[in-house]
Amino acid sequence: MPEATTPTVAPSRPSLATAGRPRDAVVDAPATPDFDLVVVGAGPAGAAAALVAARAGLRVCLLERGPFPGAKNMYGGVIYARILDDLIPNWWDEAPVQRWVTRRATVVLTESQALTIDFRSSAWGEPPYNGATAFRPDFDAWLAGKAEAAGATVVTSTTATGLLRDGAGHICGVRTDRPDGDLTARLVVACDGVNSFLAKQAGLYHHEDPKHFTLGAKEVLALPRDEVEKRFVLSGREGADFEIIGGTRGIPGGGFIYTNLDSIAIGVVLGLDGLRKAKVRPEELIADLKRHPMIAPLVDGAQLQEYSAHLIPEAGLEMMPELSTDGMLVAGDAAAMCLAAGIWLEGVNFAIGSGIAAGETAVEAVRRGDVSDHGLAGYRRRLESNFVLRDHTKLRRAPSLVMSERVQQRYPQLTCDLVEALFTVTNPEPKQGAFRAARHHAKRSGVRLRDLARDGWTALRTYG
Amino acid sequence: MAGRPVVGVCLKWVDLRPDVDRLTGAVHRDERFHGASEADQAALEWALRMAEAWDGEVVAVSAGPPAAEALLRDCLATGVHRAVRVDLAPGAPSETVASVLADVLRDAAVVCCGDWSLDRGSGAVPAFLAGELGAAQALGLVRLEVGQPGSLVVTRRLDFGRRERLGVRTPAVLSVEGASATLRRASLAAVLAARDAVVEVAGGRPAAQHRLRPVHVRPYRPRPQARPGPDPALDPRLRLLQLTGAAVERTPPRTVVTDDADEAAELLLEQLRAWGYLT
Ligand SMILES: Cc1cc2nc3c(=O)[nH]c(=O)nc-3n(C[C@H](O)[C@H](O)[C@H](O)COP(=O)(O)OP(=O)(O)OC[C@H]3O[C@@H](n4cnc5c(N)ncnc54)[C@H](O)[C@@H]3O)c2cc1C
Repeated sequence: MPEATTPTVAPSRPSLATAGRPRDAVVDAPATPDFDLVVVGAGPAGAAAALVAARAGLRVCLLERGPFPGAKNMYGGVIYARILDDLIPNWWDEAPVQRWVTRRATVVLTESQALTIDFRSSAWGEPPYNGATAFRPDFDAWLAGKAEAAGATVVTSTTATGLLRDGAGHICGVRTDRPDGDLTARLVVACDGVNSFLAKQAGLYHHEDPKHFTLGAKEVLALPRDEVEKRFVLSGREGADFEIIGGTRGIPGGGFIYTNLDSIAIGVVLGLDGLRKAKVRPEELIADLKRHPMIAPLVDGAQLQEYSAHLIPEAGLEMMPELSTDGMLVAGDAAAMCLAAGIWLEGVNFAIGSGIAAGETAVEAVRRGDVSDHGLAGYRRRLESNFVLRDHTKLRRAPSLVMSERVQQRYPQLTCDLVEALFTVTNPEPKQGAFRAARHHAKRSGVRLRDLARDGWTALRTYG
Repeated sequence: MAGRPVVGVCLKWVDLRPDVDRLTGAVHRDERFHGASEADQAALEWALRMAEAWDGEVVAVSAGPPAAEALLRDCLATGVHRAVRVDLAPGAPSETVASVLADVLRDAAVVCCGDWSLDRGSGAVPAFLAGELGAAQALGLVRLEVGQPGSLVVTRRLDFGRRERLGVRTPAVLSVEGASATLRRASLAAVLAARDAVVEVAGGRPAAQHRLRPVHVRPYRPRPQARPGPDPALDPRLRLLQLTGAAVERTPPRTVVTDDADEAAELLLEQLRAWGYLT
């Protein structure tokens, strides 16, 4: 690999976050910084970025505030890891997976009804697999271990508290919470997760709105392995993924249930605004789910092992920040790249995908010696040509559709009532036609057919 | 470095967050959550302060598996001069642990230890160590005043809230409580340097014939607490339900956070007052 040259920062458009902001430290950037690349956050995005850059020979520091990568990380529970196919061939032989998801169900809940579309595929239980349940402390530590094996220096129990800027205002490292904790680098990749403090400090977020976030809360419930398999009709390492629409007392969001080897994860995802207005606690809504007649038998007798909660950047493209500035790239949840589109909640694969793109861009920019915003333009190009920004662009209408009042509060009831009407035999009354039943129940639940058609059309355009 | 006083510190590599099965009591340990207890961290801080005051050097020792070297690297990052791991299988009796630690710390003027290990050890290693080294022992300390080289004044906790101040002359073994000092944070450069620093490994010597030998150690069991029994007038099924708390609808403590920061703060204060924290 050619020696990395000292980057000349070509003048670009004025930096939005200028030196002199309260928490920015202005330093003399050394000719040879401590590292070529400092990646902040050893979640999936950071580990992937560090792995790619370290493999290419860059001197990489992967900084993590937790005592080990993944120690502080939570999510629902399913990773779609095909994005690793090239980076770690046959990753499935070594990744710390709990179960391979072979059963995927979408459940529409009302207080007393449940409509489930249940799909199973044995192909998903064989290489290259589809989704896997995994614990994040295991998965993130494994991925960061790959970066370390490739030569990255992983520094744990250390929090980046601010950005370092040179005299010209360009980012040239991070300040940490350790004494003498400045770490200089040619380039910083912020992978510090949702609500990214570094991206905000760099001025990359222009408008923040609580409506762009949801709160995910989950319980892990211990259940003997054979009981998990019996209740979810699984065998061996097969796993189940239930995505739930409704069942949140009308608060925009939904729920989920995932199976691990000898535990299950059950949780809710809730719009912050709705949660605030409803004045309920998330664990009460999880308790509601656990009491639901369809779910209660699945969780009966299971012991609470862990409770956790975390924000999700929900609004996709609408909230995405600028992705780069002089001396810095942003990836993963820090750049709001989690895909939350109703039937899909995929964040880890989007984090890895953007982390890989950030790592590749960093290698290119450091080698070329141009880490200016202009020199980092390849990052957006990479994201636009792979699934990360293409899926976000395609599904840009999904977050507002999914979180809309009708989808959240009226359609679950309408759908369940309609299905109930279709399958209820009321002899000696003759059967009602489906269309008549639809009209009747739409009217009863306050849905105008015009709105139904409009939403159907939006859904078709969004998901079609 | 001959002539500089040596301050030893003993640290145990323990699981800081062991997972205990509530039904069977089985303990599941996870190496990723291992580290030094607060008491051992306080011991390290006191050792560093003493060495600074006396222009001495600190030797950190841990008897444990290779994974314990991570802990010793953390010690090196905080400023320890030498780090030694003694290869010892877990579960060795306190006297054995003390004797292998003593092999490394023969020259130490003072040895600092935590007062208890987090994994519910006997707390006896410091006393055995003092015996092995022929040193004075001052155990269960809440405060140390470091004077001229070789002299210390320490405060020891006694029963019923009493305290005792002791003048200590070296050589001595001290054990300290976790709250007696907060371990300094290692600088970033030191953390990076410690990654490649040398941790010496000493082989544990074959188990000697100790005069004391644990014959049987019962697992830890919390003391039973007196609880009011179920109402004797009830039928047996209801008494059983009352005893076990089964089938009782539980509602988590409920506090609805309001939009108004002042009001929320007032609520918090009110609750703290109700619990007796603010008088
Ligand atoms: C309830 C819930 C359910 C979810 N379910 C799924 C799911 O089933 N499948 C899926 O694919 N995605 C899911 N997601 C989304 C997914 O978890 C995220 O999209 C993904 O974790 C983003 O990865 P990341 O690396 O960008 O950020 P994170 O995973 O958040 O990692 C950020 C890292 O940075 C570290 N860090 C933060 N600040 C600093 C700092 N200042 N200094 C040093 N280190 C720092 C953190 O400790 C952490 O390790 C879910 C999220 C939630 C909250």
